[in-house]
Amino acid sequence: MSILSQLNSPFMYIVCGAIILFIALVSLFFLIRAYRAGKALGIDTTKMKRVIAASATFTLLPSVGILLGVIALSGSLGTPWPWLRLSVIGALHYETQVATAAAEQVGLGSLSASSMTATGFVTICLLMSLCIMWGMVFSTLFSKRYLKKLGSGGGAKSGVPGFGDSAMTAMFIGLICAYLGSYIGGFVSGNGRFTFSGSWLPIAVALVASLVMALFVWLSEKKQLAWVESFSIAGSMLLAMASAVLLGGIS
Amino acid sequence: MNEEKQALFEQYNRRTHTFGRIASVITLVLLLGVPFVIGGYLGAAPDLGAAASGFLAIGLVWFVSCIAEWLIYTPMLGAGGGYLAFITGNLINMKIPCAVNARDIVGVKAGTPENEIISTLSIATSSLVTILVLAIGVALLIPLQPLLQSPALAPAFDNVVPALFGAMAYKYFRKSLDIAVLPFLLMSLLFILVPSLIGSTSFMILPSGALAIGLAWLKYKKTGGAAA
Repeated sequence: MSILSQLNSPFMYIVCGAIILFIALVSLFFLIRAYRAGKALGIDTTKMKRVIAASATFTLLPSVGILLGVIALSGSLGTPWPWLRLSVIGALHYETQVATAAAEQVGLGSLSASSMTATGFVTICLLMSLCIMWGMVFSTLFSKRYLKKLGSGGGAKSGVPGFGDSAMTAMFIGLICAYLGSYIGGFVSGNGRFTFSGSWLPIAVALVASLVMALFVWLSEKKQLAWVESFSIAGSMLLAMASAVLLGGIS
Repeated sequence: MNEEKQALFEQYNRRTHTFGRIASVITLVLLLGVPFVIGGYLGAAPDLGAAASGFLAIGLVWFVSCIAEWLIYTPMLGAGGGYLAFITGNLINMKIPCAVNARDIVGVKAGTPENEIISTLSIATSSLVTILVLAIGVALLIPLQPLLQSPALAPAFDNVVPALFGAMAYKYFRKSLDIAVLPFLLMSLLFILVPSLIGSTSFMILPSGALAIGLAWLKYKKTGGAAA
């Protein structure tokens, strides 16, 4: 039996599937607990249902992108392991990089099924888990104290959140700026400083997504179609990604 | 919020930490244990020496990145959302924007009990949908593979993140243009002048975010705590 057949065996699916099932049950447990607590605290259930619907639609498209990550890695690591890694802790931008680097570290040269060995595979698995588990380790050890120090829930008494809320919004704006800046940098200097020969597609896609979002906001605010807001991100992304297919042909 | 509800929320929060920690520890044990279980099935053990040297070579960078993510995102997500997000991953490209979007839709503020509930609902839903999509996708991998990997659709899936941040940019920049302009210009200039940084965009979130927070602080002071 080839290594790839072993990596795609029912045993691998059962082991990885069981862990994913555990994570799904944990998520469901947190979802039900939060919903019940929200109800007890007097949060409008319509609002909570809107959040659930918006989060579900929001997640659909990026999830298909993550599925592509599973497909990309399945050629060298089999399907069950990438399926597990991208369902638990993993991140799309991280897994391929670490798997490739780990393959080099264990002496496989590159990440490919032809050079994969059983020892190499399990060492890559261990290294992939070791490298990205620290957020979970830190949240287990320190989140309670950290949130207490920051005063999470402290606004509950006064109802005034102070600067914390503005800081979080600003941090998110900073995150968006870093990514948008990287697309501009990639186009202008991606193939050498000021060569303007990098890909302009990410900039165009981001621009289309912004324009479609502007349309959604207009519909929501000026035409009193508040319901469109729940689908605004997913809708903007879908149309922007569709534009990438059209623009991809001329880029 | 009255005293009874306050007490209820505090009890909920305490238990969230307990459940979150238990779930995280079990997940850690499973993730670190499964390579050895698979090794038993394949008749091989992980090369611990190679894993250690590999960790020193590539893991330290991710170690720092994970700590930065934990420091930045825990206050955004609160207790329940935080534990779940660090267990399920895909923070930057999915969980964080998803929770921020949910918070925005219902208009709750960070650091409030409402934010704690909304954030947990959002992250839990997002995790379940991702697990479901991946499970269906894996089950249909063979028939779906030609469609998903077709060259015609490749530009769409290569640009999921630009589409996401483009949409979010309009939503956030329009309300806080005075905070967004400078970090955006500076980041663009930095990536143009030092293109090698493009591969480390996730690390550049820190200076960009710090600058945006600094500007928000100035605005907050100027408006007497009314805005941003």
